[in-house]
Amino acid sequence: MNIRRLLIFLPVLVTSVLLASYFWVPSYEAQTRGNPDRLVQFITASSGDAKYLNPILSSDSASSQINGMIFEGLIDRDENLNFRGRVAKDWRIYECAYFYVNDQATTQRWGKLDAAALARHLNQELVGKQPDWQHLKAVELLPPQSSTQSHTLGQGEEARAIEVRVDAPARIRLTLDKVDQLLFQRLQTLLGPNYFSTFDPTPLVHPSVELPSDQLQALARQMLPATVHNPIIEFQLRPGVRFHDGREVTAQDVLFTYNAIMNPKNISPRSPDYEPVQSVEVIDPLTVRIIYKRLYSPALESWGMGILPAHLLNDEALAVEAKAKGIPAEKFSLRQSDFNSRPIGCGPFVFQEWKSDRFIRLKRFDDYWEGAPNYKEYVMRIIPDPLTQEMELYAGTIDDYNVQPHQVARLKKDPRFQNFSGTSFGYHYIGYNERRPPFDDPRVRRALGMAIDVKKIIKYVMYGQGEEITGPFPKQTDYYDHKIPPLPYDPKGAVALLAEAGWKPGPDGYLQKDGKRFAFTLITNNGNPIRKAILAIAQDAWKKIGIQVETDLLEWSVFIEKRVNQLDFDALILGWSMGIDPDLYQIWHSSQTGKYQLNFVGFSNPEADDLIIKIRQEYDHAQQVRYCHQLHALIAEEQPYTFLFVNRWTALMDKRIVREVRAADGTIAYKPITPTKTGTYTFYFNQWVKLPQAPTFEQ
Amino acid sequence: MLSFLGRSLIQKLVTLFFVSVVSFLVIKLAPGQPSQIDPLNPKFTPEIVERIRKVYHLDQPLHVQYLLYYKDLFTGKVVSWRDERPVLGKIWERFLNSLPLFIVGTLLTWTFSFPVGIRSAIHRDGWYDKSTTLISYFLISIPGFFFAYILIILVVTKLNVPVIDMQTFGVTSASPLVHFMDRLWHLVLPSVLGATGGIAVLSRYVRSQMLEIIGQDYVRTAKAKGLDEDRVYYRHALRNALLPFVTMFGMILPGLIGGSVIIESIFSWPGMGRLAYEAILGRDYPVILTINFISAVLVLAGTLVSDLLYMVVDPRIRLE
Amino acid sequence: MMQPDTQRPQTVSDDVTLMPPSRSPWAETWRLLRKNRVAFTGFIVFVLFFFIALAGMALTSGAHPVLDPAQVRLQEKLRPPLSAPKLDSLKPEEIPPLGRYVLGTDDLGRDVFARMLQGAWVSLTVGFVAVGISVAIGILLGGIAGYLGRYYIQLGHLIYWTLVVCAIFLALAQSLPAALLCTLGAGAGWLFYYRRRRHPDRPVAKGLRWLIWPAISVDALIVRLVDIMLCFPSFFLILTVVALLKPSLFNIMVVIGLTSWEGTTRFVRAEFLSLREQDFVAAARALGLSDLRIIFRHIMPNALAPVLVSATLGIASAMLTEAGLSFLGFGVPPPHATWGNILSDGKDYIFDAPWLTFAPGITILVVVLAFNLFGEGMRDILNPKLRERN
Repeated sequence: MNIRRLLIFLPVLVTSVLLASYFWVPSYEAQTRGNPDRLVQFITASSGDAKYLNPILSSDSASSQINGMIFEGLIDRDENLNFRGRVAKDWRIYECAYFYVNDQATTQRWGKLDAAALARHLNQELVGKQPDWQHLKAVELLPPQSSTQSHTLGQGEEARAIEVRVDAPARIRLTLDKVDQLLFQRLQTLLGPNYFSTFDPTPLVHPSVELPSDQLQALARQMLPATVHNPIIEFQLRPGVRFHDGREVTAQDVLFTYNAIMNPKNISPRSPDYEPVQSVEVIDPLTVRIIYKRLYSPALESWGMGILPAHLLNDEALAVEAKAKGIPAEKFSLRQSDFNSRPIGCGPFVFQEWKSDRFIRLKRFDDYWEGAPNYKEYVMRIIPDPLTQEMELYAGTIDDYNVQPHQVARLKKDPRFQNFSGTSFGYHYIGYNERRPPFDDPRVRRALGMAIDVKKIIKYVMYGQGEEITGPFPKQTDYYDHKIPPLPYDPKGAVALLAEAGWKPGPDGYLQKDGKRFAFTLITNNGNPIRKAILAIAQDAWKKIGIQVETDLLEWSVFIEKRVNQLDFDALILGWSMGIDPDLYQIWHSSQTGKYQLNFVGFSNPEADDLIIKIRQEYDHAQQVRYCHQLHALIAEEQPYTFLFVNRWTALMDKRIVREVRAADGTIAYKPITPTKTGTYTFYFNQWVKLPQAPTFEQ
Repeated sequence: MLSFLGRSLIQKLVTLFFVSVVSFLVIKLAPGQPSQIDPLNPKFTPEIVERIRKVYHLDQPLHVQYLLYYKDLFTGKVVSWRDERPVLGKIWERFLNSLPLFIVGTLLTWTFSFPVGIRSAIHRDGWYDKSTTLISYFLISIPGFFFAYILIILVVTKLNVPVIDMQTFGVTSASPLVHFMDRLWHLVLPSVLGATGGIAVLSRYVRSQMLEIIGQDYVRTAKAKGLDEDRVYYRHALRNALLPFVTMFGMILPGLIGGSVIIESIFSWPGMGRLAYEAILGRDYPVILTINFISAVLVLAGTLVSDLLYMVVDPRIRLE
Repeated sequence: MMQPDTQRPQTVSDDVTLMPPSRSPWAETWRLLRKNRVAFTGFIVFVLFFFIALAGMALTSGAHPVLDPAQVRLQEKLRPPLSAPKLDSLKPEEIPPLGRYVLGTDDLGRDVFARMLQGAWVSLTVGFVAVGISVAIGILLGGIAGYLGRYYIQLGHLIYWTLVVCAIFLALAQSLPAALLCTLGAGAGWLFYYRRRRHPDRPVAKGLRWLIWPAISVDALIVRLVDIMLCFPSFFLILTVVALLKPSLFNIMVVIGLTSWEGTTRFVRAEFLSLREQDFVAAARALGLSDLRIIFRHIMPNALAPVLVSATLGIASAMLTEAGLSFLGFGVPPPHATWGNILSDGKDYIFDAPWLTFAPGITILVVVLAFNLFGEGMRDILNPKLRERN
């Protein structure tokens, strides 16, 4: 029967056509062995697609990874986490400091004298004098100045603008070739301890409306601060660095990038990082000067931001694009530009193609200033499922993916792969609420820490993928003081220490003091098995030394909203993920102990406060490290947290991928890939190559 | 006929309007905010959040937002909040990716269901019927992603060929035949997985339709007259059993825009399902609403087509 | 209850040829079910599963469960099935009561067997509650449409209720002026109807006559409502709502229930439409029975059997939907274990610990298959047209 035959024939036909296609598919061997192109292609996998290929707009990891290849910042961190120049060849950090001449005050050294005389004295007796004033390069007198400025009073809805006439007195400008946060303190030894504090700007400020005296005073102090530090970073750009379209990178591009970030129309998530900037000035095509409002050393980090090409994104270029799209120019901004999906930067790779949710393909930039990378192509494939990512790695159709520790453990012995691990930037801790006794006693906190066997936690809970830590700085940075010993595991010592603090075993076996039993609640969030395991281990360990501990697992939002933010807890288990910069202000400064702030344990120590401020105002690395070591020792002594451990990250890659180092005489040497302090193994990515056979390295 | 068309068009438009209102309300009244303006994201200061709210009209009352969105949709100007690219362009791109999957899946479903269903109806309660019943139910009962993983692992480890993505990554061969076949191969597993459920359901339906017809007196009479059995089944019975399936062509239409998120995620297929899923995750309201709107249009168009086909194939039916 | 020899062929043919159906419908169904071996196996598994789920709940819930599915033992992670625990590294309360890890342990060292038992109960709850909700809505709306479908709703009523709903929504969305406006409109509507009830004979003022225009029949309204719901792709809708509302056991059950009632509604409506015209209903009406009594005592029992069949199939699909949601990370969140989330958590370890994938995967397959076969068998049995002629 015809119909019957047709009914059977059709599915057979469909099936055989589909199955026949199998014979055309290249097998894994064919793809990797027979395809020399594959060796010059690096394919990585990401579970999510990128959003904006524009460094000032992106905030997700996939976009950042690609942007890091296409764009390049002025500076970045080298393998030892020191800053190194990229688009900037060199930079100089110096400062201009200002103070108003205080007519009322009598100087300690020169008695009462007028502004001109003061400037003359400073010039003659200080500039370049060893040892204290060797960095002071010039002293100038700025004449008094009257001006009218507009000022906004109040915030939000109640904001109103007023006019203020300011009669600024004579001012002295000190130019230093190095930022010196102690400058004014040192000047006080000459001018008198109260020279700056007795400067009263209130009579010099005349607002257009009547203001209550306290408001007026605050306004005056804001408009005429007695002393000002203006740190300045002057970047010297590398000549000959080009964007992928051939245009040279100039200071104009740096200025444009800064303006684009600060432009309210662009809604850049990076803008808070640039708030301390006062102005950016182009000195010459290869020199750009950034002047800051105040001392804030973490600011340097922000110049790792990729530089945008001004000539493609300035107002004229955007107006042309808006016109082509039929959108009114005033409604069109950088956010809508097609640039974000086919970007042009000055990094080692040139954007080629982006198929959404499939791949982003980059090719190497042959004119890259540091020499083109070895790989011809860099591809990011978007593979949402972790298991299929793993299958693709076996297949050789990706080189690298976000591998899970259990997969590394299984594949460690596989001769095809190499694996890496290193110290990561996050640590786990037990924090104590110091507002509540007995946690206000450092001996108690120390004793609690001594009762916990951190090594055992690392061994059993972390499978060895952790390292002990003793303080708040990232372990791989200079700021961390390796000389500070971790707390010993010593339950007996803990009992002795608690006895010293007044806690003695009672008749029921529990410790007590003044008839009160030592009992508290330890909390953490649920959904994190590691913290849950620590919770059980800590409870058990403390029970052994006679402390009654209740535990509670809370849902994350409840944990944060109701307990941490409201400061309603005895002790908690949490983790911090840290940046490289040693600024600890938000977590440890005593001004940050309120509700909804990050110093929720309530650590408050004037000496630590002073060090924290000094660290964020210090521009000299060695000095900063000294301060950090002091702070680290202080915190280790005070034990506001029981610092437990940092995680280790792991990664896995084909063994044939190695570093190819070309010496000056052209000889080529192969080196194994090693992880760097930056927390990854991709630091020398541009030197990587994939060899047909895995080389053997001498040990 | 014309009056029927006119009336049902108006009806569908009214339904569409309500669908648009309901979907808008569902999304807007759910707690939480789009991720870009999530106040818990530390990167966003309150000022930035306020500015974003303004740009996306989130500070406007609901009905204004509704009107603004649909105005943008009908003028083709609606843009995704995720990356400011036009939503319609994104959907078109994904549609083209999902289309081959849809075509192959539909082909598989329709070519397999009929012979299987008819045969099991003819040999009712025989081993063929029982085993196909069991297999069909097996196929609907297995959790899709579990099945997909097993298939992938089998194919990858036994056959040593890639199955992920729309084509073998980095194939540089110039021959168009190789390219075509390669793409076809990558269609096999996902479309088979997508079609299993359809085959199981449709073949059961074919079977029950056939059974009903076979039970009718005229078929029995034909058989009793001594006509060739195959001729009775495949000519007389089948023709009548086919009627309801003609109308099902209309029901295929919504499948054009609905891809399976799960299959697409596992196979890294950049299709419609993943677009919708990521839009939901990122609370990309314009994309969610647009996909929803288009799929509602397709559903309604599908029912209209079904009704019309029904009228064409069955003269007994009058749609008043 | 039944004769053991119904299996014998001659008895069967005797039944048909000689005896009028003397058994009650339930006994007849049972007999046919026993005959359909596949469906009967499904039924056995169904019952077994039910008891396992009950036992699972008893064993795994409470403050100190016999088998604790939440007990984390990180040092014992990914142990294969039937392996013995390493007693030296475990605290007394961590030792599995069965002395072995019957189905192995997962990536956190939790006992997979205990989790599967707990999951049986949770999965069953998800299925039953979700389908319960959808069947309840379906019967209600379908019944109304089928039985009372001929009544017309006046335009004024429509406007009135729309205003009321809008007012509630707007109040929830905190746009108060608009809500106030709607409330005012609804108040006017209420006044209008209040006066009409007080004076039913008084003619409606000419300008307001459009208010009592019969706009749409109840049946059409409900059919349109079903049409609207059918316009949403169901998995996408469930995913959207669960993602926006945050997944929780409660949300998932309710959302699956609220998005799957269209089929039952249509079905019940059709059933009611045909039953309404039957003689026994006409007789009941002639006896002067109330509508409610006719619906619940006379029509419902006749329409119920097929509804229950589709509910059985619905439970199967709800369990699969839950598994699918789990795969995408929107399933029932911890601490509840469901088969879906055990399966989707386990898939990352498919090479290291295949039992984590296969134990829940095969269990889901078997149970869902049993539900489907049972449901489908029952459908065949209850459909007289398809009933086997012997």
